Amino acid sequence: MEKRLIKKDALAGIAKKMAGDIPVWAPVKEEDNVFFKPLQNDVEPFFAYLNSKNAPKNVFFPHTEMLLKYTRTEKGFVFAAGENKTGEAVLFGVRPCDAHSFVLLDKLFDQEKYKDGYYVDKRQKTTVITLACSEPPYATCFCTSVDGEPVSSEGADILITAIGGDCLVEFVTPKGEKLIKYFGENKADAAADAKKNEVASKAKAAIKSKIPAHEVKPILDNNFEHPFWNTIHARCLACGTCTYLCPTCHCFDISDEVKGADGVRIRSWDSCMFPLFTKETSGHNPRPSQKERWRQRTMHKFKYYVDNFNSIACVGCGRCVINCPVNIDIRKVVEDISKL
Amino acid sequence: MQNPYIPYPVVVDKIITEVDTKDIKTFRFKFVNPADEEKYKYTPGQFGELSIYGKGESPIGIASSPTQKGYVEFTVQKAGVVTSALHEMEEGAVMGIRGPLGNSWPISYLEGKNIVIVGGGFAFTTLRSLINYMIFEENRKRFGKITIIYGSRNPGLLIYKDELAAWQKRDDLNVNITVDKGDATWKGREGFVPTVCKEVAPSSENAVTVICGPPIMIRFTLPVFFDLGFSKENIITSLEMRMKCGIGKCGRCNVGSKYVCKDGPVFSLAELDKLTKEY
Repeated sequence: MEKRLIKKDALAGIAKKMAGDIPVWAPVKEEDNVFFKPLQNDVEPFFAYLNSKNAPKNVFFPHTEMLLKYTRTEKGFVFAAGENKTGEAVLFGVRPCDAHSFVLLDKLFDQEKYKDGYYVDKRQKTTVITLACSEPPYATCFCTSVDGEPVSSEGADILITAIGGDCLVEFVTPKGEKLIKYFGENKADAAADAKKNEVASKAKAAIKSKIPAHEVKPILDNNFEHPFWNTIHARCLACGTCTYLCPTCHCFDISDEVKGADGVRIRSWDSCMFPLFTKETSGHNPRPSQKERWRQRTMHKFKYYVDNFNSIACVGCGRCVINCPVNIDIRKVVEDISKL
Repeated sequence: MQNPYIPYPVVVDKIITEVDTKDIKTFRFKFVNPADEEKYKYTPGQFGELSIYGKGESPIGIASSPTQKGYVEFTVQKAGVVTSALHEMEEGAVMGIRGPLGNSWPISYLEGKNIVIVGGGFAFTTLRSLINYMIFEENRKRFGKITIIYGSRNPGLLIYKDELAAWQKRDDLNVNITVDKGDATWKGREGFVPTVCKEVAPSSENAVTVICGPPIMIRFTLPVFFDLGFSKENIITSLEMRMKCGIGKCGRCNVGSKYVCKDGPVFSLAELDKLTKEY
């Protein structure tokens, strides 16, 4: 594996130089929050960030996306697939938990049968550069409980780890190696590796929040009707913040929009927290209350995804924990389930 | 690879109003590009997304049989935005269909067995597909005795009336049509589907029953088939859920770990027993 050493304060310059040649998404500070945005001339990347407010899944799975467009004719309609203008791009500086989420989303969108070309195309053309958490950013981080680590190359093409005043840059995949020219000529030596390993194990040990995420699977297998499910949802507002911010939530709606003779069919993020999500035309709703919706969200992450893809659909980023307006804490939910 | 979100363009070739209340119609579609028909190769029990631009899509079971060449049919009740728009359409209009989607009636499992078809009301559409598939000349010998029990609330609500009459004339089918309550013109059987199932009492020996209907009909019919000795493996039905993508991605039609759109809609009662009751 090719490795380089760069100065920590060189990151922003590298990202901007890259952005001159190829579209680059990077963390950008906006008031108190950080979002992943396309870098443009007047936009400064901000790498001294904890984590982005939103998960960067929107780079591959935008909030709204055209599936097809059409034009009305005398007899009906002619239509065409949404133009795919996706070119190569770089996602610069995502946290390891979010890079991990891409691997999980791939399992759903990139299946042999029914490949979701809109997602897969963007994913394949984008190089993911992970900025490791040399110091875990939040007390709510629990990546180590859900198969992640604060310093991890899972889902990354390039892994950047801050070691003191320098950054070790590891080119994990051939796709990552193609960008090697931006990172200078200073090859990393064994001492840098040793330093990185030290940083990694310290960071791992610093993740204090632990949940029994794997232990609850057999319990969920047998407790769909447990009275426990009556207890979580009471204060849930069904606002959908948890699903909106979640790196692995991928549910979407499909709807049509018409303007004159032209129209588009779009998909947009949807949420299992919303009553209409499963409501049928007849009025019947298989998940009639927030109880069933909360059960669905929990089950989907810690049982259904495991059944279907052998992976927990949670990366431990803690966004839902930090941002829930009524302080429902998935860590507590999982903890409680483990005691059923 | 075919983009699974893009419908095939079809022409509304024929519209048949099935019931007196005029809110159930059969739509016969022809593919605008004849080559698409081969791509739309389906098996009875599968469904498609009917796609009306500006309105959206609606998942509907395929009512024709793959043995009927040159077109594909869907029987649709007028209910929501898309199906209401569909009911307003005229012959010659162009729209789209996606699919075929989902699994299907388990044809290879049904082969060599006696088949009991039980249908109620408008939920007879994919059963009609299966019946027409089984009685197709080249296919008939692959299946044993075929018993059909089909009922609706009143004579005006029976769908596929011409076909029902034709089936009744065949000597290789045991056809039992019933209505909950007849009218002045009705000369056939009166009675609820579960009761008629009890009267007809098809043997469970080497037999599979395929059942579709309103939940209340299914609830009262199942005990009849248990009494007749049918195992849960040999009672097969089809589920409906709200769907969008139809390919297991958009996340709304799952029952436990299974997606009705992709892993279903067809399940045996034994399979349903293993799922949660969230449907």
